[in-house]
Amino acid sequence: MHYPWWYVPHLTAPMLIAAISVAHVLVAHYAVGGGLFLAVETGYAYRRGDEQYLAYLRRHARFFILLTVVFGAITGVGIWWTIGLASPLATEVLIRTFVFGWAMEWVFFVIELTSAFIFYYYWQSGRMARRTHLTIGWIYAIAAWISLVLITGITAFMLNPGGWQGGGSFWVAFFNPQFIPQTIARTGGALLLSSLYVYLHASLTVGDDRLRHLIGSRSARPALLGGVCVVVGGIGWYLRLPESSKAVLESAAVLNLMVALIVALTVTLLVLLYLGPYRNPGWLSPGFAGALLLFGLAAFSTGEFIREAVRKPYVVYGDVLGNQIRADEIAMAREEGFLERGTWTRAFVKANYPSLIVEQPVEGRPSPDQIDEKRLLTLPQKDQIAIGEVLFLYHCNDCHAKSRGYSAVRGLLQGRSRAMIVSLIENLHKAHRSMPPWSGTPEEAEVLARYLDQIPPPRTSGTFSEFEERESK
Amino acid sequence: MIDPQTLIDPAVPPGLPAPSWFIQSFKVLGFTLHAVPMSLWYAGLVVAMLLHLRGSDQGRRFAARLITQMPVIIAFGVNLGVVPLLFTQLGYYRFFYPATILMAWFWLAIIVLLIPAYYGVYLYAFGLSEGGTLTPLRRAAGWVAAVFFILIGFLFANGFSLMAHVDTWRDLWLNHSTGGAALGTALNVADPSLWPRWLLMFGLALMTTAVWIRVDGAWLAPKESQDYKRWAAGAAPKLHTLGMIWFAAAGSWYVFGTWSDALRESMFAGWTLVPTVATALAPGLPWLLLVAGRRAASSRVVALLAALAQFGLLALNAFSRQIVQNRSLAGLLEWPQQPVAEWSPLVVFLIVFAAGLGLVGWMIAQAVRASAEPPR
Repeated sequence: MHYPWWYVPHLTAPMLIAAISVAHVLVAHYAVGGGLFLAVETGYAYRRGDEQYLAYLRRHARFFILLTVVFGAITGVGIWWTIGLASPLATEVLIRTFVFGWAMEWVFFVIELTSAFIFYYYWQSGRMARRTHLTIGWIYAIAAWISLVLITGITAFMLNPGGWQGGGSFWVAFFNPQFIPQTIARTGGALLLSSLYVYLHASLTVGDDRLRHLIGSRSARPALLGGVCVVVGGIGWYLRLPESSKAVLESAAVLNLMVALIVALTVTLLVLLYLGPYRNPGWLSPGFAGALLLFGLAAFSTGEFIREAVRKPYVVYGDVLGNQIRADEIAMAREEGFLERGTWTRAFVKANYPSLIVEQPVEGRPSPDQIDEKRLLTLPQKDQIAIGEVLFLYHCNDCHAKSRGYSAVRGLLQGRSRAMIVSLIENLHKAHRSMPPWSGTPEEAEVLARYLDQIPPPRTSGTFSEFEERESK
Repeated sequence: MIDPQTLIDPAVPPGLPAPSWFIQSFKVLGFTLHAVPMSLWYAGLVVAMLLHLRGSDQGRRFAARLITQMPVIIAFGVNLGVVPLLFTQLGYYRFFYPATILMAWFWLAIIVLLIPAYYGVYLYAFGLSEGGTLTPLRRAAGWVAAVFFILIGFLFANGFSLMAHVDTWRDLWLNHSTGGAALGTALNVADPSLWPRWLLMFGLALMTTAVWIRVDGAWLAPKESQDYKRWAAGAAPKLHTLGMIWFAAAGSWYVFGTWSDALRESMFAGWTLVPTVATALAPGLPWLLLVAGRRAASSRVVALLAALAQFGLLALNAFSRQIVQNRSLAGLLEWPQQPVAEWSPLVVFLIVFAAGLGLVGWMIAQAVRASAEPPR
């Protein structure tokens, strides 16, 4: 509404955020837990004088840097890139609210980079005193965890801002009801996931049985502790969900399945960790370690999907909706028109359909021109359909592809009459819990329905189309 | 005909979490800090690749040194780039978001190009490290990385030139849209200011690379031979001269060939005359220092002064660009009138920033001390 909408065929623009976020999260948690692993285990190996383990840890540090500093860091920037493109209003609100949260996270990231490079390169050169080397390893671990805490405060806010009311205090926003549960869950996730990366790396690169057993058993406890934190944090996350998110979680069949899946994956993973690395470290073959990591990545990805899905229709709960409208703008848009209230929709209509514009000075407007909504239905049908497409793209395309792709309207609307579509549009939030309210006038609903009506194919056989045919006769 | 102003969201911006001077200061400071490492991968990597291919022994030595330093340089450079972008999005969001959405696929391509470019540098660097072999694949990865970094610079120049030219949005949008939604395929190539802006940064990057050569020879390479240091002291002014000529040509094209009369008059009048002229003349100081210090190949003072002068040039350039950006957006850019409602997050950030700098300084001191130690 405030910004141009980016049309991404088939996938929808916000799904790009999801794709990059999941790729990032799977590495970012390792960046936190892996730092702790390297600090703890390097200290252990120094104390024991275990040169073989130290040599492995040095190799692991190289793998860790190559994965987290390059892929992890750049995909992190990539999330920021895509949210600005696909969800600009929400990004604007988040940056205005949390700019100094992000700035603090940036400081910790500078500390992380400095410590990570010194930890690795000066280890390689063998010139740094062990005590100093270990201190720098711990500086990395602590800075990385604080980065996790800072970013969790911001992402948790999006799900439940608590007492923050569309522009309240930074601290109220940051210490939101979801902050502690999500911090516990993500800390646990970092411990768990990093152990799984370590297992796979060790199973592929360590041939010596003693060393592989040592790595297996040393990393089992943090992994199991991480699993417990994920469960505890997950329960807290559920208890601190807004009422509407709980309702979405309970009512959407796909989310029911996802919850069942994440529970099954987590239980399987914890059982395998207990039976495998904890009780029988010798099981750590590449196949077993690969399976453990796959279970972990699948559980994480499922968790991220659920976390995003329950927030619908909001991007920032209670404030910014998925279709880039602020909640307090809906009433005005329903009165004056979605096209009129949107900066770019209004410009589009003005450029292409000047007959819809009336000269009507209105106080508080940047221009005396205004779209006359009543004239929409007097346009030729093809123009109405064209304007309907504008409404679809700006109001609906954040969650729905056109004909084919992510939650495409072609499949969703198949078999509905135009009257049913109009009714659906006008009662969006009543028909589906995760849909935003319709934010336009009745005329715009009619025009949007005309556009949507020509997308789905006729009813196929086997869908009781004979009743429709009989009724139409 | 759409008035460009109507494409700017009319919503009155609520109060910001920091005063406008703070936002602009950190934007300029962040861009200056980012420009140092960015120059080294933007122009420095190409220079190093060419030197490694066709340079003298010492030239090849420098190339190997720079490329093995490059992974760390890129990590910090990308990180430092976050600061100006963060404050751009805080203060200039009404221009930044529409401009980048219009060219969304290209803007996103920056990330897509950056990941392989970064890994490409690592691959090449592994080939130069002890025991490594520079295979044809690693050579190719290095060249691909160098080209990708130049492309990334072009895309950044597109985004930021588009951001400052609201008058071009309408046509780009209508020609690259479906149903009023942006396709994200619009590049700002019709904007005459794009090309000199892009080339101007390359000239600056050449000069920064030249100063880096000198700094490397005097400060970072105590174990290298005197021949290497002499080479560095001789090569730096030559490359700086090339960069300065490039900068002067692109800068003249930018200022006299693409600025509107109104913008040019405003930049050459009143107090802004000082930064405008200073930016044009500033390359002379590091150049003079490099030329004058050619014979003192090991002089750390010359290298330090040249580095400070070059940093000053980058800072002046960032400052002047900020003025140009603000003047280009005159009439559209509004700073909220409400006072900052909450200072505590800003204060806590500054404390964290100072403490973080201290901690980073301590770690670097440990590293420097360790470098002087014999291997254990």
